[in-house]
Amino acid sequence: MSQKPQTKKVDYRLVKYSPWLVHFNTGACNGCDIEVLAALTPLYDPERFGVKLSPSIRHGDILVVTGAVTKKAADRLKRLYDQMPCPKFVLAVGACAIDGGVFSKSYSVVGGVDRVVPVSAYIPGCPPRPEAILDGVVKLLEAIKKGEVESYGCD
Amino acid sequence: MGVTKIVEIPVVTTEVPIGPQHPALHEPVMLKVYADGEEVVRVDVNTGYNHRGIEKLCEKNTFYRDIFIVSRVCGICNAVHANCYVRALEQILDVTPNRRAKFLRVLSMELERIHSHMLINAVMAEIVGFETLFMQIMLDREKVMKAKEILTGNRVSADFMMVGGVRRDIDDVKKEKIKEILLKLKPRVEYYVKVFEEDETILKRLIDVGKINYRDATSHSFVGPPARASGVRIDSRASDKYDAYDEIPFNVVTRNEGDSWARMMVRWSEVMESIEMGLYILNNLPLDGNPVPDERRLPRKFPPGEAFTRVEAQRGELTYYVMSDGKSQNPYRVKIRTPSFNNIVNSAFMYVGYSLADVPVILTSLDPCISCMERVTVIDLEKGTRERIPFKQLSSGGKR
Amino acid sequence: MDATEKLRLVEGFALEKGVLKPNRKLFIVKPEDVRKIFESLVEKTGYEGFYLSTITGTDLKDENKVSLDYYIVLLPEEETIVIRTYLPRENPVVESIIDIVPGALAGECETYDLLGVLFRGNPFLKRGFFTPTELAEKNVYPLRKDSGV
Repeated sequence: MSQKPQTKKVDYRLVKYSPWLVHFNTGACNGCDIEVLAALTPLYDPERFGVKLSPSIRHGDILVVTGAVTKKAADRLKRLYDQMPCPKFVLAVGACAIDGGVFSKSYSVVGGVDRVVPVSAYIPGCPPRPEAILDGVVKLLEAIKKGEVESYGCD
Repeated sequence: MGVTKIVEIPVVTTEVPIGPQHPALHEPVMLKVYADGEEVVRVDVNTGYNHRGIEKLCEKNTFYRDIFIVSRVCGICNAVHANCYVRALEQILDVTPNRRAKFLRVLSMELERIHSHMLINAVMAEIVGFETLFMQIMLDREKVMKAKEILTGNRVSADFMMVGGVRRDIDDVKKEKIKEILLKLKPRVEYYVKVFEEDETILKRLIDVGKINYRDATSHSFVGPPARASGVRIDSRASDKYDAYDEIPFNVVTRNEGDSWARMMVRWSEVMESIEMGLYILNNLPLDGNPVPDERRLPRKFPPGEAFTRVEAQRGELTYYVMSDGKSQNPYRVKIRTPSFNNIVNSAFMYVGYSLADVPVILTSLDPCISCMERVTVIDLEKGTRERIPFKQLSSGGKR
Repeated sequence: MDATEKLRLVEGFALEKGVLKPNRKLFIVKPEDVRKIFESLVEKTGYEGFYLSTITGTDLKDENKVSLDYYIVLLPEEETIVIRTYLPRENPVVESIIDIVPGALAGECETYDLLGVLFRGNPFLKRGFFTPTELAEKNVYPLRKDSGV
């Protein structure tokens, strides 16, 4: 999928000026979760990017996923992704979300968010600092503006 | 009295590191609340935990690698998990760290206690509807994260403990910086204690909600602040006196009311105690040598033996059982019993008789992991509807 | 009833005594005496005299037995003692104590699901409490050494 359909550019405007985040924990140790929570507090001022936490999945633009994806959580993650309206993007936060992290050898762990849903950006760290998370969001938004990121699953 | 509503609350208490996990065929709910109108008549605690097979994973890795795995059981409690496991190893190996290392370990654990208690109190403020207080407490909590970073090098996952001591030493510059942060934090925490004691909303929502007495607490094996708020004077720091707790003066905080308000106030009092302990440590740091042991001197093969260590984690008593059979570099058995396991699984009796809006308050006062800020499913049997609402909307009576 | 009297009560049932590091007094008892110990503790000291901290099971495959530990903290002294019993590996059964000590619910359910120790009389035991359903259907207990997981 290398060409960008023209219609998508109009939709992305809604996302790039005010992205609403939906957070989902797929079996994390909560280290990444508290850093995501901290990134939404006044010290890091996410609102200057228009970033806020969405009340429901139906209003979400960016799905922030933490945790080594356990087998049970994988189904819920897929279902959550399918429920999101287009355009939608996925952020994998933390070493566990990228490839399973410390738990990659466990049989009960799928090992990485990109085995379940397509990922738009990865933020490494164990856990990544709140500044890094916001930096990742901003870089994703700039990439959306330039049209470099696709939103999969939408037609 | 019939059941008219069923509320399914998924609480991902990933502190529970037990065995392999289960790809549930049904919705992975944890608290299934049956309500007649608005009154709770029954609660089932099912286990839809997200396991990661940690106990089995520990048997497949070496003793030293397990220190890193074990500290990722819970990001909020990582220092105490690592500390308990490392002390169990030290018991088997018969190694004692020096006094300076012990003091530094206690400092890292107490800083973690401060930030965790502030976090759960902020979450409780948000549940009750006091969003401004939530933001304010989170802002002050960032100071503690800065102190943790100065001490251990990382905000959350400290990875500070090792067999025989700690990984880094601190110099005088860092010592002064941490002391300054603690002194700046003290009046803020005193202000928050005053808010929790005087604010009308908080008092109305928390007092007499989820009340348990001494007998309930001990017979249901409650540990930590929920037990101490009912008058049970248990604290692993005072009884086992591990690390430097035999030299540092502190008080065990108990209250008698036994309700959600008492549980939160116990946590605030513990924060004050921890700040005092932190200042004592920084003023009296022993100078008996390098707290970082020489890694190359540590044994590869462990002698056979077993140890049972307890630590006072933020949520209560955390216990580790480590057994080595002496034949390999991996442990034979590692058993982790986290405090949330006792507090949450045995808590089904606490909710009966209270209203649906009280359930999030009681649950938060038991300090589950914050990833329980998920969506809750409310099944209304009378209207035949099934809707998903955010967790904190439940506490406002389900109204938008 | 102070700590020494409580210890003497438990000692009465002990086949062997020992110490578990760092300094927990260990008592090895017969499986059928476990329930009796808890019954007499509750009767003589009341619920305020102790709490049950942890239940741990270990699969000792080479010795063909399963060891089951109950860690009790005596109050108000807060001293931890260990009651250990050995069960035959083929059919580990012990009486449940859930009606006397409701706090045993968590530990018993977990040990049943992961190791296969049957606590007779506990109505909440079920496979799939933690284990994946596919393993539970094949009758696999994950923490056993020969489980293959």
